[in-house]
Amino acid sequence: MLVGAARNRNAVSRVTGLARSTPGRLSLLALLLIAATLLVGALTAVSVQRRSDALAALADRSEPLAYAAQEVYRSMADADASAAGAFLSGGVESPELRKRYELDVARASAALSTATGEIARSPALARSLSELSGKFPVYTGLVETARTHNRQGNPVGAAYLREAAQLMREALLPSAQQLYQTATEGVIDDLEDAGRWPWLEFLLGAALITALVLAQRYLTRRTNRVFNVGLVAATAACLVSLLWAVIASAVVVGHASAGEHDDAMAKITARARIATLAARGEETLTLVARGNGGNYEQRFKDGAEVLGILLAGAETREPSPVFTSAKTHFEEWQRAHAKVRAADEGGDFAAAVGLVLGSGEAAVAFAALEGDLVQAMDRSRAELTDTVARARGVLSGAVPAVVLLALVAAVASTAGLWQRLKEYR
Amino acid sequence: MTGRWVRGRTAAGAVLAVLALVAGCGAVPGNAPKIGGTSVSPARPAGVVELTAPPSAAVVAAPPCDATASLRPSGPLPAAGQVPAGSTMARILAKGRLTVGVDQNTYLMGFRNPFSGELEGFDVDMAREVARALFGDPSRITFTVLTSDQRIPALEKREVDLVVRTMTMNCERWQKVAFSSVYYQAGQRVLVPSTSDATGIESLGGRKVCATKGSSSLVNVANAPSRPIAVAVQDWTDCLVMLQQGQVDAISTDNTILAGFAAQDPYTKVVGPQFTAEPYGMAFPKQDEDFVRFVNALLERLRADGTWASIHGRWLGEPPAPPAAVYRD
Repeated sequence: MLVGAARNRNAVSRVTGLARSTPGRLSLLALLLIAATLLVGALTAVSVQRRSDALAALADRSEPLAYAAQEVYRSMADADASAAGAFLSGGVESPELRKRYELDVARASAALSTATGEIARSPALARSLSELSGKFPVYTGLVETARTHNRQGNPVGAAYLREAAQLMREALLPSAQQLYQTATEGVIDDLEDAGRWPWLEFLLGAALITALVLAQRYLTRRTNRVFNVGLVAATAACLVSLLWAVIASAVVVGHASAGEHDDAMAKITARARIATLAARGEETLTLVARGNGGNYEQRFKDGAEVLGILLAGAETREPSPVFTSAKTHFEEWQRAHAKVRAADEGGDFAAAVGLVLGSGEAAVAFAALEGDLVQAMDRSRAELTDTVARARGVLSGAVPAVVLLALVAAVASTAGLWQRLKEYR
Repeated sequence: MTGRWVRGRTAAGAVLAVLALVAGCGAVPGNAPKIGGTSVSPARPAGVVELTAPPSAAVVAAPPCDATASLRPSGPLPAAGQVPAGSTMARILAKGRLTVGVDQNTYLMGFRNPFSGELEGFDVDMAREVARALFGDPSRITFTVLTSDQRIPALEKREVDLVVRTMTMNCERWQKVAFSSVYYQAGQRVLVPSTSDATGIESLGGRKVCATKGSSSLVNVANAPSRPIAVAVQDWTDCLVMLQQGQVDAISTDNTILAGFAAQDPYTKVVGPQFTAEPYGMAFPKQDEDFVRFVNALLERLRADGTWASIHGRWLGEPPAPPAAVYRD
């Protein structure tokens, strides 16, 4: 105890004395450099880590969630159109339509459960998700009831189908849209996080290198030696770390802005696809309503207008054959739809139904348009995931490297100053 | 040497620990959301309204009239295609098709056959007879499906040539449209689940009773002395959906429509006496008096030659004597 206290007193007087002497200043300098190097290394590592986290969140959570939300929206809109089409075909629905409806239900449920996995992370999703998972089974129940009545020849089946369609329009589709909106905002946020310019990394690294250079100038003046190997090594390590962090981050920024383009394209095509399906549902329900479908026809027109704008926008942003083909098929569908309306209004209901169902002109054009949009959407999605994967590749190893280089710099500058300090013993 | 190594490792460890702490921030989930699902709002048909006041509050009492009296035929029915020039019938012949407003939701009266997708029923067959009288061909007809409250506007806007859709003749409607002579005599009754203890409209006070918007049945329900809660829907079958889902306690309308419901659901029963008389007439735009007289001549023939009885037999069972025509000239 006593010995320890004496040693402490001794140490204190030595430190205060040292601070005024050159060896003292050198020790202080060494301590400051160690602290600065480690601090800058830590901050840079954190910053790079956050960028990498944003990319990981994008790849593992927000992009899959947005895709799942899009899938929920799409399959529900398609289920609605298929159910209406099956009803319109009269009698027992065609196996193709029934299969399509069943597939939509399966995909909607699967996509819902994927999205539900994200609830704990994004409470904003909870409302629309619980609405969706609560009411979707009710919807399918109503469709099945309608089908049962249909098979028994009871006209009340049509009323059940209308109730189901009402539930879809009033509750399910708006919630699905809300979910999709929230989910795509997540993608944009993550892309923005990953795409911030690396100002912090750059400024911190530059400040540290300046400090190291100044320290060497100070040493040169004090000791008349041009180079201090330790400090030079430390400067080199810091420079490598700075370049690594800044260049990797800058490349990620570039990828992120490419990703934003891919994401925008994916969103436009997803919206176009949903608008296509919704318009198809309205077209079918106009015929189901049998001369009383003015509001469905109006919604078809509104939807078609939006669709036209989306397709034109997509083609301007990214001129590619798939959008040209989509536009052609869209125009074909519009022409076929005009024929459907003319037949229905002219009293030839059977001809109108024939155009809309099976291999009718409107059905074929719709299927072709949807095919184009699926292709475009899958491509945009693949490009986005590719871009994100490449960006993550660029950042892989950056954090350990920055930490390691900071440690190397700290050790090297200490060693360099220690060499000088030894000369004062 | 070993000491410095250990110290170095400790420092590195500390730095990494700090990094891990800082990097881990910001992604901690908030409080877990509640499960919910404790309340259910049932799915409903589109446009359901619970009435708090009788729907006809705005109706200025129509001057009393003989609601069943129509316009006398101007002579025997002309042969198909042989109509006076310049008449409404000539205009329809020139158009090439008769446009008729019907229902697709009232089983046995006007409904869509789920197997064929075609419109069928008593009203539809009556409408086809009109097309046959005009063109000699019952298929020269375009059906427009109307809900109850679309019938009069569709006639006023001349979207249809006539309406054959379980439409009760009354003085209020005579103000806006013209009716043919009575082609079917119905009366309003009540349909309840077979387990219900209700015995008629008088025992439904405070309970929910369904009828369509713009129907005379809805007015009768809302004005019933027992004060039931009238629930208005768009189509008659919406009423059956709501009854089957337990959202209403009863449906009250004409016996013809109720018979159609009972045929679709064995767990329902029609109770109570007919508490109103609902004479059905075909409705025309107010100005088309020549067409009304033409159709009345047709109805005279259908009553006399047994066509009315055979259509009744086809949809509604053993035919009674056809309702007698009354004219106001």
